[in-house]
Amino acid sequence: MSPHRRPAPADPRVRALVARASHRGGMSRRSFLVAALGTAGAGALLAACGTGSPSSAASSAEDLSDSDKIVRWANWTQYLDQDEEGTSYPSLQAFEEQSGLKATYAEDIDDNDAFFGKVSGQLKNGQDIGYDIVTLTDWMAARMIRLGYTQALDKSRMPNADNILPGLANVDFDPARTHSLTWQSGFAGLAWDKERVPGGLHTLSDLWAPELAGRVEVLSEMRDTMGLIMLDQGVDPAGSWSDSDFYAALEVLKEKIDSGHIRQVRGNAYTQDLASGDAIAVIGWSGDITSLNYEADDKFEFAIPEAGGTLWSDNMMVPIGSPYLSNAEDLMNYYYDPEVAAQVAAWVNYITPVQGAQEAMMAIDPELAENPMIFPTDEILSKVSVFRTLSPDEEERYNGEFLTVIGA
Amino acid sequence: MSITAALGDSVAGVAAEPPRRRARRAHLVLLGPGLIYLVLFFVVPVGALLATSLYVPVPGGDVGEYQPAFHWQNYVDALAQFWPALLRSFWFAFLATVAALVIGYPMAYVIAVRARGRKLLQGLLLVLVVAPFFTSFILRTIAWKQILADDAFVVTAMHFLHLLPADARLTATPFAVVSGLTYNFLPFMVLPIFAALERLDPRLLEAGADLYASPVTTFRTVTWPLSMPGVVAGTLLVFIPAAGDYVNASLLGNNTNTTMIGQVIDARFFKVLDYPTAASLSVVLMVAILVLVGAYVRRSGTEDLL
Amino acid sequence: MTSTSSAVTADATGAGGAALELEGVTKAFGQFVAVDDLTLTVPSGSFFALLGPSGCGKTTTLRMVAGLEQPTAGTIALGGRDVTGTRAHQRPVNTVFQSYALFPHLTVGENVAFGLKRSKAKDVAARVVDGLDLVELGHLADRKPAQLSGGQQQRVALARALVNRPALLLLDEPLGALDLKLRRQMQLELKRIQTEVGLTFVHVTHDQEEAMTMADTVAVMNHGRIEQLGSPAELYELPRTAFVANFLGQSNLVAGTVTERLTKRGLLGVDVRGTRVLVPAARAVRTDGAVLVGARPEKMRLLVGDQTPGRGENVLGPGTVTDVSFLGVSTQYQVEIPGLGTFGVFAQNLVGGATVTVGTSARLAWAVDFTFGLDGAQARDDGAVDLDDEL
Repeated sequence: MSPHRRPAPADPRVRALVARASHRGGMSRRSFLVAALGTAGAGALLAACGTGSPSSAASSAEDLSDSDKIVRWANWTQYLDQDEEGTSYPSLQAFEEQSGLKATYAEDIDDNDAFFGKVSGQLKNGQDIGYDIVTLTDWMAARMIRLGYTQALDKSRMPNADNILPGLANVDFDPARTHSLTWQSGFAGLAWDKERVPGGLHTLSDLWAPELAGRVEVLSEMRDTMGLIMLDQGVDPAGSWSDSDFYAALEVLKEKIDSGHIRQVRGNAYTQDLASGDAIAVIGWSGDITSLNYEADDKFEFAIPEAGGTLWSDNMMVPIGSPYLSNAEDLMNYYYDPEVAAQVAAWVNYITPVQGAQEAMMAIDPELAENPMIFPTDEILSKVSVFRTLSPDEEERYNGEFLTVIGA
Repeated sequence: MSITAALGDSVAGVAAEPPRRRARRAHLVLLGPGLIYLVLFFVVPVGALLATSLYVPVPGGDVGEYQPAFHWQNYVDALAQFWPALLRSFWFAFLATVAALVIGYPMAYVIAVRARGRKLLQGLLLVLVVAPFFTSFILRTIAWKQILADDAFVVTAMHFLHLLPADARLTATPFAVVSGLTYNFLPFMVLPIFAALERLDPRLLEAGADLYASPVTTFRTVTWPLSMPGVVAGTLLVFIPAAGDYVNASLLGNNTNTTMIGQVIDARFFKVLDYPTAASLSVVLMVAILVLVGAYVRRSGTEDLL
Repeated sequence: MTSTSSAVTADATGAGGAALELEGVTKAFGQFVAVDDLTLTVPSGSFFALLGPSGCGKTTTLRMVAGLEQPTAGTIALGGRDVTGTRAHQRPVNTVFQSYALFPHLTVGENVAFGLKRSKAKDVAARVVDGLDLVELGHLADRKPAQLSGGQQQRVALARALVNRPALLLLDEPLGALDLKLRRQMQLELKRIQTEVGLTFVHVTHDQEEAMTMADTVAVMNHGRIEQLGSPAELYELPRTAFVANFLGQSNLVAGTVTERLTKRGLLGVDVRGTRVLVPAARAVRTDGAVLVGARPEKMRLLVGDQTPGRGENVLGPGTVTDVSFLGVSTQYQVEIPGLGTFGVFAQNLVGGATVTVGTSARLAWAVDFTFGLDGAQARDDGAVDLDDEL
């Protein structure tokens, strides 16, 4: 439908594989290696990963931006506008021509934890990890900033940064956005196969309806699945809630998994199960459903539950060891230009964090400019919450309990 | 005899000592790269693994921050929580090994014995056995997920033929996990058995027939015992990686009764950043596999394999 | 299976094993005919040798008897019972394989017990002990075959087959892998055992000396057919084809034409390049036209100087002595007669040392009674052993 989107491969299985490979939450090559190599392999990786107290000596690297005209960016797959052949990135090419910088774009992130595991050792020692911008989800961005693994941004060099949506300008993990800028945002909510669930889903109780037993899947991303259940129980995950609220929600999840009502708890691979028919009702992400519908004739629908959904964002940050801070700032500034942001949003179908992009989108595709999943209305935004930042102790405990319940 | 032997000895003793010392040095040079490799990539990591398994969290530290200690309780805690996954891993690996043997032995037999002498056919069949390896492990497993999906032809056909109750499915079941393990590791079973059967002298089968053994008896008393080294190697090559595998369990399993220890280790390591638990589970898995394999090899009387 | 075992027992209790009868047996592998319309009877209790060069069809014949191959045509009967079409494990026949084919995963004792266990025999242990004692290997029962020498392995293979007391024991070049000294020893051993147990033995070999040493009856095979069958002495003294004459021992053959028949004396007069040679008509394959006149080298003697032949002797030559080999018990001479070729002469060393030197002119003389006549259409050197072909 959108002329800007790369056409999907014809064969449904190939398409499913591409979808599987191109989404976050998938199995990273690294985590696969741990399993494949068995214990000794895990030992090597454990040994390679530094454990112990963080080095406080790590400080920002000397900026070599003036001498080396390069910038290196790590991002998730299918997260930047591509040309028809899928071989180049038009907006990034325009940036290179405009700035004279050589930009290296790598789709190297497909799992927050796995990516962090790969680079945390070097970050702790203040070394260059080979990227000048990394793009990580809120809670991981919070950890990076808390640990001092990111460089402070010079806002005076980035006038476009003021275009950030007001709701994103102040987040608890990075007040005043001194170390990060939002890349894209999305919702977690309910999604279903319109043919098989003709009545649609309005609340979480609809998801637990007996006739859906064994065909329901939820996300392995703790903050989204738990956030939706907590909202259903009247707890705002953005507010100050207690252990008992969390465990009450976890009890619901455990009951639904143990009874077999929930077939599987998946990362982004749930889209593949929707496509294959193994799952017909899920807790999922807005952008995925939009993409899936391009390939499946609007077969699926996404909605934020009446009790509310969650909002997550991915954030651009400059790692501590990067010697090209200024170049990175130039690139971020460029993507906060409303017209560039609209160009990206028209392709990736996620919520753009840049004010003025909606107006710019009118020129590209008026239909998309009206899409509330890309340019959410205030009414929708009032229904979603950002899961609050957890303390290290909470994060470890909740994560551990959650993973135990989902059987990992 | 004793004179010549003594002469031989003294001659060897006088003339051969410098070459022997040289030979010893040559052995060291030849072994060197392997030794260095093993020390760097096996001994050191296993040491680190053991050390990590005893770490404790840094008081007040961030997620994933640990400090050296000798906290043996890590093992008790890890086992208390995860023993079902550990047992299940060995159970699934056992089932997959048996299934791979039942499927793989006849394959290997046909290729090695029936197609003996027809090199082209043999080569073609072997390529077919290995062909799945031309695709990545993960893609193959995902393909299985597609094949076994609720709306795919396998399940619909089984429903139609009433081989599967109408509300039953194949994916997200232990059956799917064991099938995936069997499929993914089947070539590791077929190839060693093929190698063993190929070495089998066909004249021994004729000798069996000549000594009143029917084809079935000849198989039981001659072919099978002589293929044992291949069977033992094949079962080990399937069992060991299957016990530590998590790809099949996470892609083809569900979240209640298919969790394998590899999944747990992965999750503890990458999601919770609970390195000590991941490390202690890895150590337990390694030791358990060593013990099981040792007992198995001793029992099957093929110690020379180790 | 059960009926087979009872057959084994029945045959085993009856003395002398069973007679083997092949009737018109043919085996073709595609276009190649390995065994061509073979008819043969091996009497019960005999030691029978199939002798021939490699590729002559003798091993294929053996495998058909064992049941490891099925004939393309013809029937095979054992002790009067037609076994054509039955499979190897159903026949009361055991084989000592050329490669021994001992089971490497079983001990010597288990190897010997293998056939007994399959036929559900009683007293397996005792019979294994007896079987191993017969080949004097009782003390090695617990070894694995790989720990034995070649000769010991061969004896285990023999015991493994004999212990079943088969109606018929087949030996497929069983001594081929042994060195000369051991081979001689085993030849005698085999002969002793055969006499002792009194079974029917069929022995396949390409070694004419081995066949003659051991067998009562030798069948010389060539190109899938039997050239001649008889006792070793018969075959040696009176070969009926050039192939037999050359393959079994050595022969001096020379081409000639029958020119006269001395019916009264039962002799044929043969013209050999102008020389008249007499051949007893009874020892000639044909009595007219082209023939090959033959005599064994040890039947010939050298005439030098003015030595004259005795009565009833044929004479050829003169020729020139081209080689003298001293062999201890005898001396072997090569004599080149212009136009006729080279002749061998073995002379017993009755007086010690060679009596004639190289270059001497000599004639050849031999008794008419030892002369034989073959079909002149056959090649003079058919079946002559080429050392390079030896295994």
